[in-house]
Amino acid sequence: MTAPASVGATSAVASLPERPAATRIWNVVRLHLVDSRTYIGIPWLIVGIAFVITVFISQIIGFTTGEMGSPDAIAGMRYSWAVLSPQWYLMIVAVQAVAFGFPFALGFGVTRRDFYLGTWLLFVLISATNGLAFTVLTQVEKITDGWWIHAYMFNALWLGIDGWLVDFFSFFVMQLLVLSLGASVATVYMRWRMPGMVVFWSSFALLIVGSIALITFTSSWPAVSVWFASQGIAGIFGWLLIPAVVSGLGGYLALRRSTPTN
Amino acid sequence: MTTQEPVVRVEGLTKSFGRFTAVDDVSFTVEANKIYGLLGRNGAGKTTIMQLLTGQQFATSGDIRVFGQAPVENAHVLQQMCFVKETQKYPDSFEPRHVLASAPWFFENWDSDFAERLVDDFRLPVRRRIKKLSRGQLSAVGVIVGLASRAPLTFFDEPYLGLDAVARQIFYDRLLEDYSDHPRTVILSTHLIDEVSNLLEHVLVIDEGRMLMDQDAEKLRGSASTVVGKASNVDAFVAGRDVISREGIGGLASATLGGLTAAERAAAAAAGLELSPVSLQQLIVQKTSSHTGSPEQDWKVRA
Repeated sequence: MTAPASVGATSAVASLPERPAATRIWNVVRLHLVDSRTYIGIPWLIVGIAFVITVFISQIIGFTTGEMGSPDAIAGMRYSWAVLSPQWYLMIVAVQAVAFGFPFALGFGVTRRDFYLGTWLLFVLISATNGLAFTVLTQVEKITDGWWIHAYMFNALWLGIDGWLVDFFSFFVMQLLVLSLGASVATVYMRWRMPGMVVFWSSFALLIVGSIALITFTSSWPAVSVWFASQGIAGIFGWLLIPAVVSGLGGYLALRRSTPTN
Repeated sequence: MTTQEPVVRVEGLTKSFGRFTAVDDVSFTVEANKIYGLLGRNGAGKTTIMQLLTGQQFATSGDIRVFGQAPVENAHVLQQMCFVKETQKYPDSFEPRHVLASAPWFFENWDSDFAERLVDDFRLPVRRRIKKLSRGQLSAVGVIVGLASRAPLTFFDEPYLGLDAVARQIFYDRLLEDYSDHPRTVILSTHLIDEVSNLLEHVLVIDEGRMLMDQDAEKLRGSASTVVGKASNVDAFVAGRDVISREGIGGLASATLGGLTAAERAAAAAAGLELSPVSLQQLIVQKTSSHTGSPEQDWKVRA
């Protein structure tokens, strides 16, 4: 029998050729996407269901008020949160990407660094894709006057006001923030387990209450609302990039010393 | 012996979780292309050692070299290893087919045909959620990944858990077949010692975090034998020898002794005693049970 090829592959030096870092990181992206339902199938199923419900509700309101397609009715639909319906699910997905994906990837010989970079690359790609898709849907909805039946779901909240570029940027940032917050919270858990959660959520609550107290005691609420109004949609989402990036960096530092749960 | 660098070299390795010492000053080496048994009781530290070797846990002190380098966060070294642990977590929605589809991206030597054959052998439903699989089917997922990955250093952590006797035999058969065609280094942790004893070429026995035995399996098997016969004859024969254990029923007795020479064997036969080989499992049980329960050990657990 001829010597099998892998005899040479098992000498005492690491003999399988080293994979380039880009390949290793891309493999982590593929690992997250191997079950396409998680990031694509289920979120878009949720969007589809929300759309059907939106159509029904808009028609019911139009039928009962007799104001189908009036400026008031269209303005009213701007307050619908249906466009954000998959975001709760996606935040849980981001938590699970670390809580289950990290121990699994370690079993496949992935380094913590490659896992984190691959996971973040995935988040950026998903945010860009979703940003683009919702921007296009918003524009189509505007052009077709609410899908020809005055049903508005995507042209809602802050979307469809400041043009498609702002729509894309704002949706991208919002999506990235949702995913990075979910992943970072899970990373704090992986690194410090339950004590980490207690410290993290108490500090978070203190920060919020402290900010509110500070603004209230200094009677700064008018100044705060003036500041927010002056930022515009693009400006506010520009600021939201900061917590997205900070949580991303914090998550990286925490994951570097994390161990899988048993 | 071989002059080749060992695949694994561990020196003075200690891992503590708070006040509990899971691995206590352990040193050993693993030579290439052999099957090692990492044996010990539940909680002895087997999984922790494997997690340390694969960079999943950080050592408290000591030195680990795998393929000559420290494994922690070392992509090139980790790429040579496959370790699906007994309590492996999988992404929530994963089905076995997702594991099998992604494995080739991480294991250079992955053999898809072999994996498919193993799926049939183990009758693994590939389109069922992993969290809904039975314990045996879950073990089968790990066994299939471990075998089909053909990683230069493969770990099997209690791979038989929940597997029925047929499936366990399939595992042992496939491992031996594939190992002889594609030699690699295998570290198998188990407490079903007798079942795997024919597979093992080297035995590492760990108890309460300490290395109790680090021996060639063949030598270990020959290192003891049992003499059985009338109690008076047995006692006369074993007097003054290194007795590992002695049991008696009525007028009969059996005693396990350290290695016997040919002359001693002949003497035993002449004394009307029967000689039987000691199984690896018996030998290890006897050595580990004589070791447990010492005051020093009890103290260490509570400390």
